[in-house]
Amino acid sequence: MNTASYHPVTAEIAAELRNVVGDRYVVYGDPERLEPFGHDEIAGPEYAHMPEALVRPKSAAEIARILKLANRERVPVTPRGAGSGLSGGAVPVHGGIVLCLDRMNRIIEIDPDNLTITVQPGVVTNEINERLKEYDLFYAGYPMSLETCFIGGNVAENAGGGKAVKYGVTGRYVTGLEVVTPIGETVRLGGKRVKDVTGYNLIQLMVGSEGTLGVFTEITLRLRPRPKASADLLCLFPTTEVAIGAVPRIMTGTGVVPTAIEFMDRTSMQAACEYLNESIPYREAGAMLLITVDGPDREAVERGYDRIGEACLEQGALEVYVADNATTSERIWKVRRSIAEAFKLVSPHQSLEDIVVPIAAIPEMAAGIEALAEEYGIAIPCYGHAGDGNLHATPVKAPEWSLEEWHERLPQLLTDLYRLAASLGGTISGEHGIGHKRKSFMPLVLAPAALDMMRAIKRALDPNGILNPGKIMDG
Amino acid sequence: MRIAVLIKQVPESSSVRIDPETGTMVRSGVEAVVNPLDLYAIEVALMIRERNGGEIVALSMGPPAAESALREAVSMGIDAAVLAADRRFAGSDTWCTGYVLAAALRKLGPFDLILCGERATDGDTGQVGPGVAAFLDLPVATYVSNVPDFGPGLCRVDRLTEDGYEHLEVQLPAVLTVVKEAASPRLPTLRGKQRARNAEIAILRAEDLDVDLDRIGLKGSPTRVVRTFQPKVTRQCRRLPARDDAEIELAADQVIEFLRQRNLL
Repeated sequence: MNTASYHPVTAEIAAELRNVVGDRYVVYGDPERLEPFGHDEIAGPEYAHMPEALVRPKSAAEIARILKLANRERVPVTPRGAGSGLSGGAVPVHGGIVLCLDRMNRIIEIDPDNLTITVQPGVVTNEINERLKEYDLFYAGYPMSLETCFIGGNVAENAGGGKAVKYGVTGRYVTGLEVVTPIGETVRLGGKRVKDVTGYNLIQLMVGSEGTLGVFTEITLRLRPRPKASADLLCLFPTTEVAIGAVPRIMTGTGVVPTAIEFMDRTSMQAACEYLNESIPYREAGAMLLITVDGPDREAVERGYDRIGEACLEQGALEVYVADNATTSERIWKVRRSIAEAFKLVSPHQSLEDIVVPIAAIPEMAAGIEALAEEYGIAIPCYGHAGDGNLHATPVKAPEWSLEEWHERLPQLLTDLYRLAASLGGTISGEHGIGHKRKSFMPLVLAPAALDMMRAIKRALDPNGILNPGKIMDG
Repeated sequence: MRIAVLIKQVPESSSVRIDPETGTMVRSGVEAVVNPLDLYAIEVALMIRERNGGEIVALSMGPPAAESALREAVSMGIDAAVLAADRRFAGSDTWCTGYVLAAALRKLGPFDLILCGERATDGDTGQVGPGVAAFLDLPVATYVSNVPDFGPGLCRVDRLTEDGYEHLEVQLPAVLTVVKEAASPRLPTLRGKQRARNAEIAILRAEDLDVDLDRIGLKGSPTRVVRTFQPKVTRQCRRLPARDDAEIELAADQVIEFLRQRNLL
């Protein structure tokens, strides 16, 4: 599986692609229109790579034909959802065809009796819950990009997000998949069953496979009864240490399982608040926790957030704000969701990291990140999902460093960061994935035998290395 | 200083749907919130109190459920809340609403200052604030964009207009409607929420007020909705090619000319 073995997308292949999906849905030989499909949301341009062709199929049958064609012609195919990923999963690192799933955006079926919804991969994640409102049901996935990302990408990356503390990550809710395999066969896995031990758990193999093992064309998701009420607490703390230190107490001492516990250090909340023109008195604070509580009714939620809010004050919070309606709730979650965007404005040269450690190790990890920042003399703002140990530490290029210096020193810094996470029982990615961004660091956290298992699976399903090559590990 | 803030409970606007048959808003099952623009009036009141001391009373007219909007105001720091709630108020238009609120203010008064949001996000008229001023025979300044400061018997306000700002001195007592620019609303604190939960919301009924029963509610409202419809939006789009420098130059000139002709430049 090296680049040399791939063939270019010729005019003849492009014509065949047009034949499969229709003229309008193929872009070929037009760099301006192909450019947006050469990158995802990683800030660094060095992670981008131009595709040779873009194809926008409408059905599993079309995708199967495209993959068969690609196998015959030895052209790599990279599936793409909304392109909101953060590890390069949708970047065609070997060129070839980008298979964009934006036209497959139908909600196929809502089945309230079985508590499932079946969707196509191009449905915007947020739309699922909009449509489920009238059924009093909800889908518990909540990636921070939910207003733009596609559910197919969520499944491919096993997206986590803000509500994982209580509800877990995307994979927990996937019960059925229709998949076009790398060689162009269409298979159905799972269904609407709560339990299923029919052989290997191929669904969970597909979940998080980053588009390397199959293209999802139908996704069945388990739903839950919609919590009737929820409230968010925005807690200001004097320092990171105090804020992070309060998390174990909140998790274990209140008898309430919060839906989310998000952490923002001083730099992150300042960047986001300034970006949004937000007037929360963040300047006096050193860190923030954003905690969500949901429940069956307003009274239960009030009891829940009272306990958690009191615990925060006991642990040294400077102030606890409460948002219990759509206006205020959206206002404070916007602060959290805007951090990544705000940082890109502060400096385009940064590396959004995604380390995850067991929750009891969070204070030690946070302290270690601060020590690394000091050692390297750069800012490493840190935010993320404190309730599940997933911290988005984000090294930002020091203004006095040249770009060369940045590219030279970043790998060493990341190695130190990842080693620290690993030494605490953590790993290099909790929810963004490996892609091509982190694959060279995989040996830091996975034994050679484990990587060999992954390679064996990839080779068995994709003998020609057609589907999303160059991701997760080298062949 | 005694300040009254008039607030309205409205459906949360992102979840509002319009019934295509009747053309009216579907309110059932939609979350109710404090009219977002009223939050700015609440914040201005709180900032005045922080600087000048005094007491703030929030007043709303609405169904019993509007109590939760008043509790939100209390949780932000308002001292007392009063709800004018009576079946006989139901269906009031902006004229009747102003009439009832004015009567309630007379009953609860005297006030030095009455603050309102610019308009409610559901009805969108912006008439109730000025209406209240008319019924109480008080001066009114609309679109106030600052936290007023005070002189003897007067307040100084900036009024946002299409062309800029007016700086006014307004004799007190007065009614002010404020715009977003004036202040950024604070979030309720945990302590504020706990206080609001136990706060007593006083209820005013029609008989508590000096109002003519024939002039309130649907039957007292002079406004008649004859027909509602959604305006047809027609946009005529002209595309200007700009493939090379010469075309870009030409297109830019055409855009400038287009805007000039419409007095937009």
